[in-house]
Amino acid sequence: MNTLKLYIKSIGILLKSHLQYPSSFFMQTLAQLVMEGGEMMVVILIVDRFESLKGWSGGNLYFFFGIMSVSFYLTEMFGRGITGDFPSMIRTGRLDTFLVRPRGVLTQVLCGGTDPRRITCIAVGVAALIMGSNFSNIVWNPLKVLVLVESIAMSCLLILGLFMIEAIFCIFSVKSVELVNAITYGGRSACQYPIDIYPLPLRALFTVIAPFALTMHVPASWILDKPLYGWPSWTAFVTPLSGALVFAVMTVLFHLGIRHYRSTGS
Amino acid sequence: MSYIEVNNLKKNFIVKKKHEKGKILREKEIVNALKEVSFSVDKGELVGYIGPNGAGKSTTVKILSGILTPDGGEVTVGGIVPWKERKRHVKNIGVVFGQRSQLWWDVPIIDSYSLLRDIYRIPQGDYESRLKELTSALLLEELMRTPLRLLSLGQRMRAELCGSLLHRPQLLFLDEPTIGLDAVSKLALRDFLKWENDEYGTTIMLTTHDMEDIEALCSRVMVLGHGKKLFDGKLQDLLERYDTVRNVKIKYDQTATNLRLPEGVNCNQTEDGIELSYNPAELPTSKLLALLQEAGNISELTLQPQNTDHMIAAMYKELDL
Repeated sequence: MNTLKLYIKSIGILLKSHLQYPSSFFMQTLAQLVMEGGEMMVVILIVDRFESLKGWSGGNLYFFFGIMSVSFYLTEMFGRGITGDFPSMIRTGRLDTFLVRPRGVLTQVLCGGTDPRRITCIAVGVAALIMGSNFSNIVWNPLKVLVLVESIAMSCLLILGLFMIEAIFCIFSVKSVELVNAITYGGRSACQYPIDIYPLPLRALFTVIAPFALTMHVPASWILDKPLYGWPSWTAFVTPLSGALVFAVMTVLFHLGIRHYRSTGS
Repeated sequence: MSYIEVNNLKKNFIVKKKHEKGKILREKEIVNALKEVSFSVDKGELVGYIGPNGAGKSTTVKILSGILTPDGGEVTVGGIVPWKERKRHVKNIGVVFGQRSQLWWDVPIIDSYSLLRDIYRIPQGDYESRLKELTSALLLEELMRTPLRLLSLGQRMRAELCGSLLHRPQLLFLDEPTIGLDAVSKLALRDFLKWENDEYGTTIMLTTHDMEDIEALCSRVMVLGHGKKLFDGKLQDLLERYDTVRNVKIKYDQTATNLRLPEGVNCNQTEDGIELSYNPAELPTSKLLALLQEAGNISELTLQPQNTDHMIAAMYKELDL
């Protein structure tokens, strides 16, 4: 509880810092809107051109896009310490200052960064979710809301976990490793579409290694009343938990990595 | 047992060499940053830790503060092994890094302090009284609502010190605290550190290149070079050992003709007079003065005070650092 309070207060302070430069902040927030709006346009154009994709209607595609957008940018907004700032925390020695305080390192890293400009991206995602829901005629009930919330929360943990791979490399090599971007940013671009449009190797990648299919596509299919790739319907509640699993494993590895932290000169 | 116990501390770094032609893999080199360093520090001591750049000073401080894990040796601070029980250990210590900030850059420093209160879980009443005491001692009252980025270097160092002492640490590490400060700020900072040490018996360990810091503050000094401890004792003892060159400036009424000086004295005739340098161990000052007086009527004579920086430089040279 105390940790959560600390997190909220830290984020508040960071928000205050961002607003020290209001014009820059608003311009960048606007730029984010244009960027994510552009992504959304691509989906709209595809839907306009093809109407359906491998049996998925336009509304379904908006729904998938919305879940990915909301999850990804929520993670970037609240997990900025891991998704964006971590390499610079190592380079500038900010990690050293975290290590001399009586709190968990990961807690402090997460308390150390936020990216409120992503709010417009999240808004686009929410709009896509609402559009998708309307066009797909989803009949909402409490259970479906629960599964949607679970799916988004677990996807956030998954994305955070994947970015932590990069952070762990960073502890050893000081510089960031671009290769990992293939499954983080690459995963976002690929998995905003339903997984079964892809060939088997890609499907395997996003089910076993970076299980977006488990945290997003299975529960989303269930909410859309579609067959779950031949799996029983209870799996829609269980498979998203793989996100928490990835996060837990990465947290353990992260702390092992910190033990071998070498610090930078001063 | 002493408060800080360090036995045979070792730390290696693997450094990758530059890429050589015709080789696919870069060669690695192991650098021994610390080779079996041992020392102990009692509660309430004020210790200066000096040595040339790259001697291993910061590495020692980083190990003692729990940032780095050593490759060998034993360390306990108040009975705790820093890197094994990091959280329990760092509750009792404060660290000020000369060149990196612990506070938040863009917000008023009071906000940073209130966040530190939450991080260290300091009870509100204790926090308020301590903050009041520190802000008045460090002359920060006027600056509390100013963002850190708008503070001058001296003000920022004072703000950092306040932040690192809010939780009443028993041990304070200072890594080059006076770097880049003007004379007034330096003196104020030293006074404050003395006060903190007197008032609360806070053990203070500081690394510095500024010998005046050591002279003003530290009863004890440790010299580190090439990862080894080379000296540990009183500053005065260290200086006497390396007090090998002294300078005298002298001016005569008329040109002194029969000035005869023993070997080992360097003599330099300048427009302003004569500059001499000698080794007090070979030629006692009284003897030299007698010789100088015999040579003619002295109109001006200055014995230059021993320059600590020169002495330390001589020591580094002699020890091949």
